[in-house]
Amino acid sequence: MNKKSWLRDMKAIPFLLPFFIAYVIFTIFPIFKGLEMSLYDWSLVRKLDFVGLENYQEMFTDPHFWHTLWNTTLFVILTTPTMVFLALGLALFANMRTKLQTFLRSAYFLPSILSVAVISFVVIFMLQPYSGFVNTVLHSIGIETELYWLTDKVLAWITIVVVTLWWTVGFNMVLFLAALQDIPESLYEASEIDGASRWEQFRHITLPQLMPIGRVIVLLQILASYKVFAQILLITGGGPGGATRPLIQYIYEVGFRQNNLGYAATMSYALFFILLILSIIQLKAQRTEER
Amino acid sequence: MGKSNSSSRKTVLLQRNRDPQHGLKISFGVIIAILFLVPIIWMLFVSIKPDGFSTTNPLDWFLPPYTFENYTNIIADTLILRWVWNSLIVGLITTILTLFITSLAAFALSQMKFRFKKTIFVFFLLGLMIPGEATIIPLYEIVKNMGLIDSYAGLILPMIASPLGVIILKSFFDGVPREVIESAVMDGCSNFKLFYKIVLPLAKPALAAIGIFTFIGSWNNFLWPYLSILSETLYTLPVGLPVFNSAYSQAYVLPMTANAVASIPVIIVFLIFEKQIVKGISFTGIKG
Repeated sequence: MNKKSWLRDMKAIPFLLPFFIAYVIFTIFPIFKGLEMSLYDWSLVRKLDFVGLENYQEMFTDPHFWHTLWNTTLFVILTTPTMVFLALGLALFANMRTKLQTFLRSAYFLPSILSVAVISFVVIFMLQPYSGFVNTVLHSIGIETELYWLTDKVLAWITIVVVTLWWTVGFNMVLFLAALQDIPESLYEASEIDGASRWEQFRHITLPQLMPIGRVIVLLQILASYKVFAQILLITGGGPGGATRPLIQYIYEVGFRQNNLGYAATMSYALFFILLILSIIQLKAQRTEER
Repeated sequence: MGKSNSSSRKTVLLQRNRDPQHGLKISFGVIIAILFLVPIIWMLFVSIKPDGFSTTNPLDWFLPPYTFENYTNIIADTLILRWVWNSLIVGLITTILTLFITSLAAFALSQMKFRFKKTIFVFFLLGLMIPGEATIIPLYEIVKNMGLIDSYAGLILPMIASPLGVIILKSFFDGVPREVIESAVMDGCSNFKLFYKIVLPLAKPALAAIGIFTFIGSWNNFLWPYLSILSETLYTLPVGLPVFNSAYSQAYVLPMTANAVASIPVIIVFLIFEKQIVKGISFTGIKG
């Protein structure tokens, strides 16, 4: 009997092992490795001295850390609500019964498949002062002010947020769209017999039915926005004057430009804990969903 | 099919009649759609302008003269095709390996009996909560120690163990009818045969969804290639394009041609597979 169950267990090993190895090396092990690195002075080339909690102390008193963490949080605050409402609006448009349905869906989603490098550089060139597309359009409709989209603090933030919306909203739109299509037609038919107006239908049927997926989208969006890096690095470089620099960019600069992987790993931990807490909330929310 | 179609058409007509603003809403939706496409269309038009083109009249961006010379120049003078190729190869291998190892693990967790099964599943589940971006510094150190920095393997291997893939596939495999499995086992089907002859073909929609997801994710991955690749010949598109584009600040044409070269293949693929991609996202998004 014992031998039999041992044989049975052995059979599962070839199935589990390839995933298990890759998962342990590249997902689990980095957490422990990061802990070790955060306790050392650690250069790009090798481990230097054990410094205990010094890196953590440095982090708490490092103004750049707090500033970039705040920038990242500001990005989350600016993008999450706009993203969710825009996604919902686009999903409602994309769900309309019209011959243009496929066109609408494709147009809203198309930017999401383009590389971050492409969208960033298209935007940089469109927003050039004097000769860029956006400013020439503005001039041609009578707005003569020369807007410096990427070197003015407020405009740079607007640019980053709008580009992010444009680039990624299609994904959330599709999630809303799927939920919209799952709403039973009979609910609308019944309310129609009761003489409900379209606005009442939207308020009392569509919105409540979309709430579950809406919550998931909000949480996924917060998680995704905390990881922002590429489009900011490529569009503003974190500027002007560090005004848009996110935490991951600072971690990158400390690690790879200042050659201090130990401190970079320490700050990664701060991000890790923020994201971990958000993930736990998300998983909990999703669990309640499935019930 | 035909019947339900005609009755749904009736409700369509009914609803259309009841909404006086239907046309207005569609027009609004179309205007937003066009705004979404303007940057992409602008990029494509600028890419066929004569080199050095610049204007202060917005319409001129879209009007002739056109030339395709930039394309031949870009392709001849830069490594851009090499970068497209790298992105493609890395994306394809990552996708294949991900599908392979996640479906094997999901099969074991779904259909086989062994000790610590529950523990192993929870252990894999934990991975969902570990964001790759936050462990990128130690990951760099680990991959460096393995000697894989600046290599295809270093780009691919860290990306293939997707816990989400295992979980989606497991729940899909759980849904395969018991009778199908039992009758195959009765016929003396081995586990491997059961896996690739019966369960895998039934899981095509799930595999397609995860595959599309993994490929797009890899195609657009920026942070990891940016850190781990040093040689220009190994750059993927997201890393290579900025290097190329940054060399220009006011010259619009060549950067846009490079961006177009990078985008046209994915745009074509997207237009062909639009339905599957959209379905795949809602599939994995909701289940995940």
